Amino acid sequence: MTHIYLLTNDLSEGYVILVTGLTIVFGGLLILTLFFKYALPIMLYIYKIISKGRDKKIKEISPKLNEQFTGEIAAAISAAIHLHLNEQHDNENAILTIKQARKMYSPWSSKIYGVYNKR
Amino acid sequence: MKKIILIFGVLSLLVFIRPLLGMNASSETTTITTATNQSVDSNEDKTFVSEAVGGIKQFYQFTGFANAQSGNLIMILIGVIFIYLGIKFDYEPLLLIPIGLGVLIGNIPFLPGYETGIYEEGSVLNFLYFGVVKGIYPPLIFLGIGAMTDFSSLIANPKLMLLGAAAQVGVFVTFLGALYLGFNLPEAGAIGIIGGADGPTAIFLSSKLANGINILPDGTTVKNLIGPVAIAAYSYMALIPVIQPPIMRLLTTKKERLIRMKPPRAVSQKEKMIFPVVALLLTTFISPSAIPLLGMLFFGNLLKESGKTERLADTARTKLIDIVTILLGVTVGASTQADIFLTKDSMLIFGLGAISFVIATTGGLLFAKFMNLFLKGDEKINPLIGAAGVSAVPNSARVVHAEGLKADPHNYLIMHAMAPNVAGVIGSAIAAGIVLSFLG
Repeated sequence: MTHIYLLTNDLSEGYVILVTGLTIVFGGLLILTLFFKYALPIMLYIYKIISKGRDKKIKEISPKLNEQFTGEIAAAISAAIHLHLNEQHDNENAILTIKQARKMYSPWSSKIYGVYNKR
Repeated sequence: MKKIILIFGVLSLLVFIRPLLGMNASSETTTITTATNQSVDSNEDKTFVSEAVGGIKQFYQFTGFANAQSGNLIMILIGVIFIYLGIKFDYEPLLLIPIGLGVLIGNIPFLPGYETGIYEEGSVLNFLYFGVVKGIYPPLIFLGIGAMTDFSSLIANPKLMLLGAAAQVGVFVTFLGALYLGFNLPEAGAIGIIGGADGPTAIFLSSKLANGINILPDGTTVKNLIGPVAIAAYSYMALIPVIQPPIMRLLTTKKERLIRMKPPRAVSQKEKMIFPVVALLLTTFISPSAIPLLGMLFFGNLLKESGKTERLADTARTKLIDIVTILLGVTVGASTQADIFLTKDSMLIFGLGAISFVIATTGGLLFAKFMNLFLKGDEKINPLIGAAGVSAVPNSARVVHAEGLKADPHNYLIMHAMAPNVAGVIGSAIAAGIVLSFLG
């Protein structure tokens, strides 16, 4: 851990940290913003050129081909699928009894296996 | 059958009347060692009754009733309020209920010296609290958060990332406020991070800076502020639905609240996979002290987005985070033991915490309005989503959404609000890293 004691006075160091800290946080997220706004599309474009023809799938779901297909539609569809798959509670057996569960045989928990294979 | 009962009865009678018959000379002295270190003399003239009364008195010394102080009772009341708020009003029940019960556990009055309390070396609670003191739990929570978080709305609209940075103004202004109130630098840093509105980050930073172990250059030891900071951060996070809406309404006009943003574009899987890797590299190169937090966050996200490690991602976002949340909640709650927690400092921290949330929200809202000055047409952003720049995932995004619906019942802001929300998590972790590198 680096110790940066710039000034002896607590409060003035506080101001230094206030300014530098905010600048760094903004700077960091600004770099991220710029990267994802400009650098990433270029990188993806270059990748597309390099792997031309092989990468059919990405081409198909490219937003350029489907201007209509926005994130909201995707969210609606996925929510519907999720509800369909996970909330099927209609026909459940209402009778609750304790059933004897038969354990599957497994050599890992077998006593006799442990007795005979002593190594 | 009757015979057995009879024999058993006679035997037990013999055991009970044994002291009366004077057969207790050797055994009695070892069993009774009073808490007040009064030596028990096993004189012959001591009767059974007086010894029994003495035993009860001694037992009473161990009970909570004998050791209760007003502070304990106040904290127990607060714990009950936490549980009530969590159950009745649904304010982050997953946090408030473990913390609330933890507060009860931590404030049962007990006789010190028997490895009971959370601050006593060697007690079970102390071992569990280790994960808080050493900052182990927060990165594990971040792993789970990473595996839950969908960064796609952020990738679709990267400029919203700046809102997450703007809300971090709360961290640094609170830091300055704490300095003004007379806290020293590391303590002020730990208090400031409450403004990041991120529980794990707050615990992580306060465990590194204000842990009661570090020694300042002038020779004094920093105070242990982990408990107050964590409780303040979590309780204000839970109170976000109360704190934020008035500020939102105050700082935005009706017209601004009606702004509709265009739906985010669909984001390809490739972009989602690249995001955690690139974001990890960029952010941790800038702020290496935040590696434990950001490293785990983006690791969890890569597990989720890679498409090949669904099992690991599933464990991280369900079982693992649940386990850690349970341990963290209970131990943080229990760390509010009244004699250590109820101090003037804690009250100041609570005051500063409330202010920090207000400042963070204000910062986000105003920066969103500022960005709107440069944006045109349907690029304009609804300034309400600026308030989601404080992390508090996903609570503040939900509040923004609800507030947007009040202005226009068909304006769904949740997806837009998630972008500054997750950016706020990244931002507050970076801020924590910066504060740590300055003061650590």
